Amino acid sequence: MSSATFDDSVTGKVTGARSEPPRLATAETKVHRLKHPSWWVGGAAVLILIGTFLRLLFTNENMKWDVVGDYLFHGEILHGLWVTIKLTALAMVIGLGLGIVLAIMRLSKNPLFQSVSWLWIWFFRGVPPLVQMVFWFNLATLIPEVRLGIPFTDVVWHTWDMNSLMTSFAAAILGLALTESAYAAEMIRAGIMAVPRGQVEAAAALGIPGRKVMQRIVLPQALRIVIPPIGNDLISMLKFTSLVSVLATPDLLYSAQMIYSRNYQTIPLLIVATLWYLVLTTLFTVVQQSVERKVHHKPLLQVNRLGFNPFRSGKVVP
Amino acid sequence: MTWPLLKASNIHKAYGDNEVLKGVDLEVHKGEVQCVIGPSGSGKSTLLRCLNRLEVPDQGYVYLDGEPIGFGWVGDDLCELRPAALARQRERMGMVFQSFNLFGHLTALENVTLAPRLVNAEPERQVVARARELLARVGLADKADHRPDQLSGGQQQRVAIARALAMQPEVMLFDEPTSALDPELVGEVLGVMSELARDGMTMVIVTHEMSFAADVSDKVVFMDGGQVVEVGTPDQVFRHAQHARTASFLTRVL
Repeated sequence: MSSATFDDSVTGKVTGARSEPPRLATAETKVHRLKHPSWWVGGAAVLILIGTFLRLLFTNENMKWDVVGDYLFHGEILHGLWVTIKLTALAMVIGLGLGIVLAIMRLSKNPLFQSVSWLWIWFFRGVPPLVQMVFWFNLATLIPEVRLGIPFTDVVWHTWDMNSLMTSFAAAILGLALTESAYAAEMIRAGIMAVPRGQVEAAAALGIPGRKVMQRIVLPQALRIVIPPIGNDLISMLKFTSLVSVLATPDLLYSAQMIYSRNYQTIPLLIVATLWYLVLTTLFTVVQQSVERKVHHKPLLQVNRLGFNPFRSGKVVP
Repeated sequence: MTWPLLKASNIHKAYGDNEVLKGVDLEVHKGEVQCVIGPSGSGKSTLLRCLNRLEVPDQGYVYLDGEPIGFGWVGDDLCELRPAALARQRERMGMVFQSFNLFGHLTALENVTLAPRLVNAEPERQVVARARELLARVGLADKADHRPDQLSGGQQQRVAIARALAMQPEVMLFDEPTSALDPELVGEVLGVMSELARDGMTMVIVTHEMSFAADVSDKVVFMDGGQVVEVGTPDQVFRHAQHARTASFLTRVL
């Protein structure tokens, strides 16, 4: 019995019956690759759409590219651009700072800290930033003045007028920063939990005090893990600063709106704003990628990026 | 008879209904090497973690050089120590873990220098010099600038040993230091530990490496079911076990 018949008995196929050797491909054999006609059909459709869009972009007279050019570096627009950058940076810094504190509170053993942090995140993730901004701006109606003194007594050292304190810029920062703090807290918490618990024990066994364990071992690694979602948030924040136009804060969008309310060149000025937002977003993306490359010698852990966008409604994680 | 350097008396620990330690005593004298052996789930690791209070015993006390761990005497009363004071006690006991637990964002050298730099007011240069010396001692002088993820398990564990030694501890606790290693990497770690034992370090080692335990120990402690069943010299425990549980465990693992 040959080995071929042994295989036959297993597979049930009759392979021993071949009388001639099988044909083998040689270097000269011509090979026909599989064609993909649907690629060409789909591609053609997309090309037609792109062409139509480009024609709209460059031949539609209402686009008024010359007006766009005139206003691209207009003083008011550049000032608005600067306000937008300031808003983004301040809201991000305050939001992240609060987020770190909230994340640590959420992970603390103290049930009061845990629940305060939970409530904060629940509230500021639940209320739209636009609603918050308008609310903060009108805070004087609720609390006319701010007093510094000893609570529940008549001792007052200083009083401020809420209306002069809560400028539209301050209200805008509050609305954006508090929303960001809730989202930042959740992602930083995820980052902290991703740092292996054993490292904290090792640090404790070495006699490193708890506060320094957090500062020198846990947070550096947690923040490294959350750099991609933070970069994501930064870009979202940039775009959502445009909400402040409702408070008449002269950011990029509001500056453009003010100009077109005077000269009725609505579309060209919106294009100016659009171009600047795209420039900033591209810049942030480049910076984010280079930072990521620098600190991520190797991705430590993959953190789910979904649900970290502050202004997209996401599932509330209790 | 001298007072033991490390003494645990009547340690109890339960997680819910699961009684892990049922009144364990342990005495380790200065310069002594004790290996704790026993089946998994016998409470060996929990006992070790109670020694430096990573686990808080429900009952019983641990004394290091006569000082109760986690407590201070105030008159005739014991007061629980603040975290900072407990940290001072912990730095006198070095600990090596099964899963190495190196700080992932730091190089081997930084792993070794971090605790002395944060805890002791020692000059930076002295700390780094000692760290390099320790890395050389565990055979990793050339890996000082490597991150944990660039090192093999055996190398990581040797860095972890150097890191614990950097605080100049009086006792070293080893919690199954070779259990997470590929078999061919076990030898390099046991080699470093044998050398440490020869140099007179006081050591408590939870291990499954029986021939290593027989080789290096002054005393072997056999634990089962949350209790110390038998303590003796390696010869007494491995060759002339007094208890049936010891003998049956040894026939299973040897």
